Amino acid sequence: MLHFQFFNARSIEEAINFLAEEVEQCRIIAGGTDLIPALRKEDIHPDFVMNILEIDQLKGITEMDHAVRIGPTTTFTEMIESDILFRFFPSIVQAASSVGGPQVRNRGTIGGNIANASPAADVLPAVLAYDGELELQSKVSGKRIVRLSEAIEGPYKTRFLPDEMLTGIIMKKPEPGTRGLFEKLGRRNAMARARMNLTILLRLNEKEEVSEVRIVPGAVMPVARRVRGTEEMLLGKKSEPSLIEAASEVLAKEMVEVTGIRWSTEYKVPVLKNMFKRMMWQLLR
Amino acid sequence: MKKRGIGIGSMFYGMGYGFSRPDISSAEVEICEDGSVIVRSGEVDYGQGSDTIFCQMVAEELGIRYDTIQLVTADTFTTPNAGPTSASRVTYVTGNAMVKAARAIKKTLQGVAQEILGEKDLLFSDEEIFSEAQPEKRLSFSKLAKECHLRGLQMVETAWHDITTKDVDPETGQGDAYATYAYATQLAEVEVDMETGKVEVLRIVSATDAGKAINPSNVEGQIEGGVAMGVGYALTEEIKLEKGYLKTGNLGEYMIPTSMDIPTIETHIVEVPIPSGPYGAKGVGEPASIPTAPAILNAIANAIGVRVTELPANLENLHRLIREKEK
Repeated sequence: MLHFQFFNARSIEEAINFLAEEVEQCRIIAGGTDLIPALRKEDIHPDFVMNILEIDQLKGITEMDHAVRIGPTTTFTEMIESDILFRFFPSIVQAASSVGGPQVRNRGTIGGNIANASPAADVLPAVLAYDGELELQSKVSGKRIVRLSEAIEGPYKTRFLPDEMLTGIIMKKPEPGTRGLFEKLGRRNAMARARMNLTILLRLNEKEEVSEVRIVPGAVMPVARRVRGTEEMLLGKKSEPSLIEAASEVLAKEMVEVTGIRWSTEYKVPVLKNMFKRMMWQLLR
Repeated sequence: MKKRGIGIGSMFYGMGYGFSRPDISSAEVEICEDGSVIVRSGEVDYGQGSDTIFCQMVAEELGIRYDTIQLVTADTFTTPNAGPTSASRVTYVTGNAMVKAARAIKKTLQGVAQEILGEKDLLFSDEEIFSEAQPEKRLSFSKLAKECHLRGLQMVETAWHDITTKDVDPETGQGDAYATYAYATQLAEVEVDMETGKVEVLRIVSATDAGKAINPSNVEGQIEGGVAMGVGYALTEEIKLEKGYLKTGNLGEYMIPTSMDIPTIETHIVEVPIPSGPYGAKGVGEPASIPTAPAILNAIANAIGVRVTELPANLENLHRLIREKEK
């Protein structure tokens, strides 16, 4: 078993002070649903583990005028039960519902899902689709806001500074009339890593043309991101079957450009296209 | 698009080891001075419920409550050899040994009771021994046990049961290889997502021959558990090796179904008692899971018109078949 020192932070100030001092070897723990297995498998060897679950400032979901702020230690269960999220970000609620099983959802947090930066994360791609921003804090550099889309460098790797801590997730309320859908494909109906997931946000104007669209496939690329080529193809046009068919081809091409041809490509290409088309029709209905 | 289909799977299964391989079991029943009963057997209850039915069997013979029996099992230091818990043999082989041991010790009790009550035909029921003809002539079980001990009688009996069969003819392969056979049929209803290759099992109906269900709730539980294993075998479970190393070494990678993947299971226990089984019973352990995968695969074939020939029928394998068909 690993040996490490445990530090229980009671406030953001205490936490970032500790990070400033012990920055090299400290891992942050919230729900622990990713960190504990990694410790057990001895994939990581931290000298310090800092608990942030008892910091009240990091909890809860707050509605502001034009945005909603989610504290990073908000659990998936709390997200599922949130009226605010249900009203403005239904795809986030769908994504949170698809995580693990009830026990994992009771422990796991949105901050952990984002900061762990797993390529197979479920909530992270949905937050990307809503163009979420992260509030980061450090003792030395203070507070800064970065877009989630710019904060992930690679699988399990963020662009946070070593002494920085995630202290909030902020999402602008979508324009009225925005429809959202999240779907996950796993090998079983609970306790499954995403084989792939897909988040689509869509808004039409009064002429039934696509005025806004955001598409984020998850678990098919090293880092989840919006597929701009596919989005641009749909923008400003009426959603005819031929257009959606053509967009699905571009979507698959955008994925393969990033991943190259692998053993799973022969499955992922047709299935990603199918999921995209099915969800588009569901959103347009 | 999703397509639905129905499939059937049937099996028969030889109980125990068969083919002249030794298949023996033993059990021990002891009655103490105060009338308490201790049962010992090397058989392992790993959840299938054999401990419960052993107590039921001894209680049935001695006319006592089954929940008062003390049971000692699966300890090579204290229990007689019962052979492995495998081959769906426990109820059939060890059950017979239990009944034999209980009947042997009952004979001793009966002799003393006949002498005390002066009656020949006695019943053992509700912790009492009484004459059927003259019910006022009765004796409590604990009093009778004490009397037997005072007389210095043997109050522990060990029984041995052997179901070893003859081998089949080495030239022709013909013969009766097993002591008895079990039969089961299951129906599966599935829904196949043609776009992703995902299979949802909607319903399983199982008819399983138990000979005689000693404990119907246990039998139902075994069938439901067996179906769950069969669903995993058909759809998700896979051992992957890479250069000889196991890549599916934990339950995060070796995918067994969760409760969210198990459909409604309708169980029908078919009771056709066999003379060689205890009260006519035979095992249901493996017969519960054997028909499930064939039934599911037949249902898939019924739904999409393609036969799965490689397990598991997981997302990739099934979608490849769907694509090949559409070509």
